[in-house]
Amino acid sequence: MILTPGIIARLVALCAFVAVAQVVCFSKMDVFGSSPDVALLVVFSIGVLGGSLTGAVVGFSLGLLIDCLLLQTLGGFALTLLAVGYVAGRYRETVGRPTRGAVALLGGALTLLGALVIAAIQVGTGIDANVSALVLRDAVIKSLIGAALAIPVLLTVRLVVRSALVDERRAARRPPTAPRPVEP
Amino acid sequence: MYRKQVRRRRAVLLLLVAASLTLLSLYYREGSSGGPLHGAENVVSTIFSPISSVTDRALKPVRDLVNWFHETFEARGDKAKLEDQVASLRTQLAQQQTQQQESKELSALDELTSGGIVPDGTNPVTARVVGRSPTVWYSTVTIDKGSGDGVRVDDPVVAAQGLAGKITETTPNTAQVTLITDADSAVTARVQPSGATGVVEPNVGNPEDLQLDFLERGSRIAEGQMVVTAGFSTGDLGSIFPPGIPIGEITTATVEEQQAYQRVHLSPFADLRDMDFVKVLATHSGGGSK
Repeated sequence: MILTPGIIARLVALCAFVAVAQVVCFSKMDVFGSSPDVALLVVFSIGVLGGSLTGAVVGFSLGLLIDCLLLQTLGGFALTLLAVGYVAGRYRETVGRPTRGAVALLGGALTLLGALVIAAIQVGTGIDANVSALVLRDAVIKSLIGAALAIPVLLTVRLVVRSALVDERRAARRPPTAPRPVEP
Repeated sequence: MYRKQVRRRRAVLLLLVAASLTLLSLYYREGSSGGPLHGAENVVSTIFSPISSVTDRALKPVRDLVNWFHETFEARGDKAKLEDQVASLRTQLAQQQTQQQESKELSALDELTSGGIVPDGTNPVTARVVGRSPTVWYSTVTIDKGSGDGVRVDDPVVAAQGLAGKITETTPNTAQVTLITDADSAVTARVQPSGATGVVEPNVGNPEDLQLDFLERGSRIAEGQMVVTAGFSTGDLGSIFPPGIPIGEITTATVEEQQAYQRVHLSPFADLRDMDFVKVLATHSGGGSK
């Protein structure tokens, strides 16, 4: 991803909108007892499209903004989304451009990873109350929703940052294939 | 060139992880008394609160559409009207039972007075729920009323069907409500009509299940009995919740669990995952609309 000032502005606007939308809309949706984590999928998409460094920085910033909006412990979501963005970016850098199936699988797996990181932070900072096994159910349902939404979210984010993508630029520069001469 | 890129990538990653961990540590060290990080957080929240409020209203149709599918799936739509009636009757019943209980047990205590569920001097503030934490670990919601409207930390918050939680953070325009299903929540409660008291604690991850712990030995509690806030007051020490607010209904009360752990299970009356409006029982009057 080529980070021009225009693209950085787009990413900032995208992060601000996604953070607000996650807090006021997506988290309040009830899908089989859980809710979609679209912010995590946006970070995953940026990681896949822009690499580990961009993914980590965007994940950290978006997570920090969500922490602020929810008046919660600063750094919790920042660390979670930072991990997601970095892992998604490293996948792209080491394995290559993922197929659609891989995007869905990765989206689900990283949503599960996000739930585990949040759980680890909670356990690490101390928790006095009982923990229900339904926490696991919530994580599984969230990851299934993540798998289902990963492709549409990736396509949407790709539209936003399309002009910065190296692959898209190469495709745009490629000369059209010459028409075959008509054989007599 | 490649090695330089790798070094830069690792340096940035380490820097971000260190920043996250530092923020976590410093935030915990500040505690609930506040500090620079809490202040910065409040500033960001205040800046975004009008945007959040507008976005909440703009995206409500989308959210409602998704929730409608879910509610239809669970056949909850037809029950809404009856649930409203039950909630109304339940509140009346709780008020009557609380008054009876108090007249029996507290009539001898001159210092304790009761004025029903909402104490005298309370200025209820109706607020819209504009934010919710995306994980089950943080059972908190953000409301669109803050210190400017008279909302203060520790003010009780009720939903249409019963107790929702209490205020734990405020900014001029917003406030954070920690729900009774949050890991940090504990509410002293009384079982009606037996009068047995205990502490309602959450079962993290299962918002439909609460636990009433530390019950007195020999308490006879049955399924279906109602649990309301106890609202104790002893000298300077007092519960922040007024007495008689409905919390939930006993769902599991086995003799074994009562004898061994002095614990029963209850289901909260308030639908804490699907609240649009709540009422803050504020004791201060603010400049905003009520």
